[in-house]
Amino acid sequence: MSGHPAGDYRKLRRSLVLRMALVSVVPLLVVSAANSWLFFRLNRAIVVDQHALSLRHQREALEQFLAAREAELRAITERYTKAELREGELDRVFRVIRQQPEVLSDIGVIDSRGDHVQYVGPFDLAGRNYRDAPWFTEVVERGVYVSDVFLGYRGVPHFVIAVLRREADDFWILRATVSADYFERLVNVSRSGRTGETFIVNEAGLYQTKGAHGQLLAPAGLGRPAWHEGTRGGEEEIGGTRYLVTTAWLEHPRWLLVYRQELGDVFAPLFDASLLGIGIWLLGAVGAVVLALAVARRQVRRIRQADQEKDAMAQRLVATGRVAAVGEMSAGLAHEINNPLATIDTLRTWIQDLGGTPPIPEEDRREILESAGKIGEQVARCKVITQGLLKFSRRVDAQPERIDVAAFLGELCVVARARARVDEVTLDTDFGTLPPIECTPAHLQQIVMNVVNNALDATAGRRDARVLVSSRLEGGRVVLRVRDNGPGIPPENLARIFQPFFTTKPVGRGTGLGLAICYGLVQELGGTIAVDSAEGGGTTFTVALPVQAPAGSPP
Amino acid sequence: MTGLGVLLVDDEREFTTALAKVLRRRGFEVTVAEGGEAALGRVAERAFDAVVLDVKMPDRDGLDVLSEIKRRSPATEVILLTGHRSVVDERDGLRTGAAAYLLKPHPIPDLVARIEAAAARSRAARGGGGA
Repeated sequence: MSGHPAGDYRKLRRSLVLRMALVSVVPLLVVSAANSWLFFRLNRAIVVDQHALSLRHQREALEQFLAAREAELRAITERYTKAELREGELDRVFRVIRQQPEVLSDIGVIDSRGDHVQYVGPFDLAGRNYRDAPWFTEVVERGVYVSDVFLGYRGVPHFVIAVLRREADDFWILRATVSADYFERLVNVSRSGRTGETFIVNEAGLYQTKGAHGQLLAPAGLGRPAWHEGTRGGEEEIGGTRYLVTTAWLEHPRWLLVYRQELGDVFAPLFDASLLGIGIWLLGAVGAVVLALAVARRQVRRIRQADQEKDAMAQRLVATGRVAAVGEMSAGLAHEINNPLATIDTLRTWIQDLGGTPPIPEEDRREILESAGKIGEQVARCKVITQGLLKFSRRVDAQPERIDVAAFLGELCVVARARARVDEVTLDTDFGTLPPIECTPAHLQQIVMNVVNNALDATAGRRDARVLVSSRLEGGRVVLRVRDNGPGIPPENLARIFQPFFTTKPVGRGTGLGLAICYGLVQELGGTIAVDSAEGGGTTFTVALPVQAPAGSPP
Repeated sequence: MTGLGVLLVDDEREFTTALAKVLRRRGFEVTVAEGGEAALGRVAERAFDAVVLDVKMPDRDGLDVLSEIKRRSPATEVILLTGHRSVVDERDGLRTGAAAYLLKPHPIPDLVARIEAAAARSRAARGGGGA
């Protein structure tokens, strides 16, 4: 029976490992990916919300800061007249309100003509005229004014808060400068991560505070921002980098408070966590693969063992079938031996009778010699049978060799004919001229024996029972035919005769395995076996074998 | 007393020839038939004291011949002698009235003794008269 090449098991193991690994790793991957995605979205929502919240708080703080400065200036204008705020007095008031650290860098009084009449501060601004400055017009119109950041006469970035005070028919303005440095620190307090920064741009989109990287009064890369209520957050690409940008407008002045952080920075903790997640996932995947390997190895070993057991079983089955066929075939041989033995024994008695009492007459002496010759003939008869039987039962090697089919079948039919005589069946043979074929003698013998046994079983005890064993070379194949004139096989049985355990013989006579084994053996020899039968018209089994053994036939 | 009449029926010609010689030397009157049909012919001609009958023969089954002999001449003793043991044949043979069912090669002295005993029984049963 054919074995299983080691490559088959390697392939099987590889496919098992692949399947098990896929089954365990893919769901792990899908769940991990889904989790990561959900976690990422959740995290993003939380971060956006946090940024908005923080920005709202900061806007409130800035509005309070500006309101407080305005209130201070307003209080001074209410408390003093322009005339009262002479050089020394203004200096005293300024020292009170400038606070530590320095919030206000200078303070001045400007009269209705726009002249800077009083000034306390580090710059020499007294005597400057602001009548044409936009802020002057605005403060006259609205009573209070907070400027954008500008360089002004001093050439240093700053912004001013100015309040108008009406006195009789005249008015005057108290103007203070907020230090750009202080304001910068005030604004840029919310700095999260590596790149988080808070800054202010004006309606023109220019930096009012420079945040972490900006340049005062330079474009912040946000274009001319449009007004919106509340806070607004979203991703924006600026100069090739993606940012999470959250914005909120201050009412007065129209400044846009911006909280900006590189997206990569925002999600850096998340990415760190993801890395850990990927590590855990990889560990799980490796574990799954290792487990799959171990399980596959074990399964394949079991399958291999089962296959080996199956092969061994099949071999035992073939061997058993062979013994059964030999037994069935040689059942008639006792008769063929016993008959000559009986003759020999009788002749011995006859010789003893004649030679019992000397002197022996010449006539008796001739009779004795004649009887001895007949004994020799009977012994020769026995020898044919025993030698046939020996050849017959000695063929156990499953090695393919070149066989002269006609001679092989001839030897086999010596034994078959002995059985046929007992069954009162005439066994005819007709072996044509055949080329030697390459095949396994033990297998060929078992095939022919089974088919001939079946033919003899089918015809035994019938009138004029005949079995013809013939061989021909047909289409490059050696075709053996065993034809009997038995009762034939009913059509309903014809399809099943090669099936294991199918038999119509009485219990104890047939195993139902003979033809099933034949079928396997013929296939192994690279041949075909077919049956042609008509009820009442006899049966012909045809076995066609290749002249050359099939490639890759078992050793 | 005339010799006991024995019919040997077997398709093994050498065997019957040798056995006939052995029996004749011991005083039997031996007739040989090579098959079932021939045996029935001899039986029709005369009554034998004993018949040694093969079971497997090409032309006619030994058991058929046995029952025919027993029908014609119930007193004739028949010894079945075969090369191939068959339990069924032995049972059927003894039921049909065979004196013994023996397997070849059966020791000749015992076979001769059994033939002698059977033939004597047969002759006694038929009133001691000759054929």
